[in-house]
Amino acid sequence: MVGMDRVRRELRGSLIALAMVAVTTVVVYALTQSLEVRRGSAVYLLPVLLAGWHLGLIPALVAAVAGVLWSGYFFFSPYYSFYLARPNEMVNLLLFMVVAVVTSHLANSMKKQKEIAQRREKEMGDLYAFSRRLAAASSAADIYLAIEEHLASLVQRKAVLFGAGSDRDAKAEQGALSQRVRDAIVEVQAGRTFWTIADDGAGDIWLVRRVSQKNADFGVIAIDLGSVPSDAIEQVRKRVDDVLSDAAATLEQLDVARALNDAKMRSETELLREALIGSVSHELRTPLASIFGAATVLSKSPAVAQDERLTSLAGVVRDESERLNSEIQNLLDATRISREQIRPRQEWIEPQDIVNAALERRRRRLSGHHVSLDMDSNLPFIYVDPVLVAQAFGQIVDNAAKYSPPGSPITVAAKRNGRDIVLSVRDEGAGLTAQESTQLGERFFRGPRHATTTPGSGLGLWIAKAFVSANGGKIEAASAGADRGTTVSILLPFATPASQPEVGPDD
Amino acid sequence: MTETNPVVLVVDDEVQIRRFLRAGLELDGFSVQDAETGADAVRCATLTPPDLVILDLGLPDMDGGDVLERLRAWSNVPIIVLSVRSNEAEKVRLLESGADDYVVKPFGMAELLARAHAAMRRHVRVSTGEPVVKVGPLSIDLAARIVTINGARVMLTPKEYRLLQLLAQHAGNVVTHQFLLKEVWGSPHLHDTHYLRIFVRKLRQKIEVDPTQPRILLTELGVGYRLVAPEGAVAAAK
Repeated sequence: MVGMDRVRRELRGSLIALAMVAVTTVVVYALTQSLEVRRGSAVYLLPVLLAGWHLGLIPALVAAVAGVLWSGYFFFSPYYSFYLARPNEMVNLLLFMVVAVVTSHLANSMKKQKEIAQRREKEMGDLYAFSRRLAAASSAADIYLAIEEHLASLVQRKAVLFGAGSDRDAKAEQGALSQRVRDAIVEVQAGRTFWTIADDGAGDIWLVRRVSQKNADFGVIAIDLGSVPSDAIEQVRKRVDDVLSDAAATLEQLDVARALNDAKMRSETELLREALIGSVSHELRTPLASIFGAATVLSKSPAVAQDERLTSLAGVVRDESERLNSEIQNLLDATRISREQIRPRQEWIEPQDIVNAALERRRRRLSGHHVSLDMDSNLPFIYVDPVLVAQAFGQIVDNAAKYSPPGSPITVAAKRNGRDIVLSVRDEGAGLTAQESTQLGERFFRGPRHATTTPGSGLGLWIAKAFVSANGGKIEAASAGADRGTTVSILLPFATPASQPEVGPDD
Repeated sequence: MTETNPVVLVVDDEVQIRRFLRAGLELDGFSVQDAETGADAVRCATLTPPDLVILDLGLPDMDGGDVLERLRAWSNVPIIVLSVRSNEAEKVRLLESGADDYVVKPFGMAELLARAHAAMRRHVRVSTGEPVVKVGPLSIDLAARIVTINGARVMLTPKEYRLLQLLAQHAGNVVTHQFLLKEVWGSPHLHDTHYLRIFVRKLRQKIEVDPTQPRILLTELGVGYRLVAPEGAVAAAK
């Protein structure tokens, strides 16, 4: 096909060249007749140059030969014969042929350079438009569309993107591809290779590669290169690389921007939640303070104090509002913890001060149990935030009272064990199953056995753990099993004797 | 108590809190005045000087601390602060700027009254010059500098005595670490809380039945110490 075209093109060019020679001959003949010009052979260079410039080497050679022959026919003796008798006619022929070769070669290379320049210009224009599109892209979808269109214009064939962004559904397009190309896409998507070449079986070569070398999430692109020779593939691949490296950089920036945006959204949601909890708990606590205070006034008022039933009712109101209040406090503490706003105010403190403070606040709640204390005297001081540790210890005491039957003993101890001060609470209540032991202290965890029988939010021990670990300690729970009691301990490291606080001599 | 009922000024913007405070305080023999805002409170206190102020910190028009300072500028009336936040730093700040004591919401009437009476008794003691403070079995004669438990003399070092003296002068009310440190050891030791811990431990060993479970000298975590109010100590001793 290509050969026939070429022959036809050369034949046509040669005919035009011959026609130009003929026209030249007519003109030269007329000139020689009227102006007595005898040496017209140089004029025959004109058709050679023209043919060489516009029509190529073969027509130029045809023009050269024809020109020499015609000039010999008309202008050199023997006249009207194609016989080249004189040596300078041979020289002319040679000269004409050289001119033909040089001209056509020059023209050819200039044409090629012009083509290259034009193509480059177009590519530059495309690339410029592409980079402008990238810069203006506000979403990944914009970039993917730009990549597809730009690559399609670059290779003058089809380019299809896959698996880039959830908003793109390229499944239908993928269905239109041949099995081999689809296999190649799967292979690249799976990360086995960064790029590959696939022959679709119908004579077209497909280049399949990841959009970004670094990030597989940006998808895979399949580009139809058409029937290119294998040495051209490498060239195309490099150009595709250039385009995609720009695009991938933009995608990464966008990805960072999106991540930032997501983070902002999340933190705003978080802030909203905190604000909501903050305001709700304030709104709840204020009436609770009224209810609690009013109940304490009621229980002491003469009319109620005389009637035991009414006193106990006032007690119910007081106790329940107190319980609600501590649940709200837990919610607030939980948000403080999740906002990482726990900042311990550490100071030296007697361990038993912490225990006593926690028990003092719960004296009424513990009145149903037999609480016994086992505290060593002269325990080393510890350097902690006493308020946080007392709150943590209070949670543990609350749990002991909640999960053990009324009247059962609770033993509270403060001991020294190695380099730790151990504050512990032992009850003879519900105990822990193996499963419960592992999950104890997780946020919102509640033993399924107690879900319906004992109210609670599952926050208490989680908060206690956070408070204790903020002070460099830890919480341990031990139980011999279900219904066999629990011992929960706070372990706090105390400073070595050398760093225990000292005071100079008294006075 | 005086012939007429003592006057208490309740400063709170929540009507329900004011209502139960009024009921509880009137039951206890107080004559109650209300103020909803800080400006109201200052005006009211100027017109009728109260014997006690109960001041909520969350006021709509001005910061509770500002109200406190304005009142303290010309009056040494006992002031008990109501705080909704269990923020120790804030409690300390308010005590330093002149509050006599605080209660944290939600609080019971008995707790508030104990604080209020302790603060009022101190003012009476200061004005009458009554020398002896009795806290349960403990008796502190501030004039003779003699401390006894159930009549038996307790020997204290000068610093131990100074510490107990300061607490006794505020019996029933909290005294901040900073105040005690400044008074006993001087300003350079304002943050040496451990001095206090060590001396309180020694003091407890001399005045408490069981120093690990003190009934007289109580710790207010993160704030200071409190010598229990005389009634409280009696109740605890029973």
